[in-house]
Amino acid sequence: MRSTRNVAKSDADDQLGHYSDPPLLVLASLASGPKHGHAMIEDIASLCGTRLGPGTLYGAIARLEQQGWIEPLPAEERRRPYRITRQGARVLHAKLTILRKFATVGIRRLGVA
Amino acid sequence: MKARYARWLVRLYPRKWRNRYGEEFEALLQESSGGFRSFVNVLASALGEYAIPTMRPGVVMNQYPNSLLTLGKRPSAFLPMAMSIAALAIVLGSIAASPGVVVRNADEGAVAHIWQLLMAGQIPILAYFVIRWLPRVPRLTAYVFALQFTAALAAMAPVYFLGL
Repeated sequence: MRSTRNVAKSDADDQLGHYSDPPLLVLASLASGPKHGHAMIEDIASLCGTRLGPGTLYGAIARLEQQGWIEPLPAEERRRPYRITRQGARVLHAKLTILRKFATVGIRRLGVA
Repeated sequence: MKARYARWLVRLYPRKWRNRYGEEFEALLQESSGGFRSFVNVLASALGEYAIPTMRPGVVMNQYPNSLLTLGKRPSAFLPMAMSIAALAIVLGSIAASPGVVVRNADEGAVAHIWQLLMAGQIPILAYFVIRWLPRVPRLTAYVFALQFTAALAAMAPVYFLGL
């Protein structure tokens, strides 16, 4: 996976920063249906507050496509939508399950709820 | 972002990457607000693409043809046309070899059999071409199919009009 150092942060970025794992964010965005680049950026921003830079987004798209986790659809004018593949959906599910376990344990250790 | 600036940024990437993602990436850049952060982001990403290329040799990407020429280079696009042209050439060659003489035997002869093989043999290739590409690039597929159809008609024309 590509490093997340190139994530362009939004103006609303706070001191804690935002979650930034571009490939996972792209997969999560495409889980709700096919999208082109600009729609993905907006969706991810609304999902977790992270605004991916265009270079970061396409770095993630290229690698996800190479891994067969997303696939391109026919271009609409110059925009090309992408959709998540079955394999990609399985990977996303597995990653989110791990994250949920991690979050649950982390919160429990903090003694919160 | 201005179109010229976006185009310039896309040129920072390696050619292979540009051939695959250039057009859609440029469209995205034009939609984005631009600014210094975007510039740094694209620059870093482009440099990363030189260091660790996505488009490595042997890596198969889902690449859709973006021009008539690119689609036309696919074997399933040009083979039917080549077969039609070959069939036409065989018929014309046969006519040229014996001008004004039309021989009709019970056995149609080698030329007729080759012509039939060439015309029938392209049907599965045409079917594959349409099934493979029509859902992906409908307009380009329609153009190429029109060319294939025209070539097939041209191959059939002398047989039909000369009653061979």
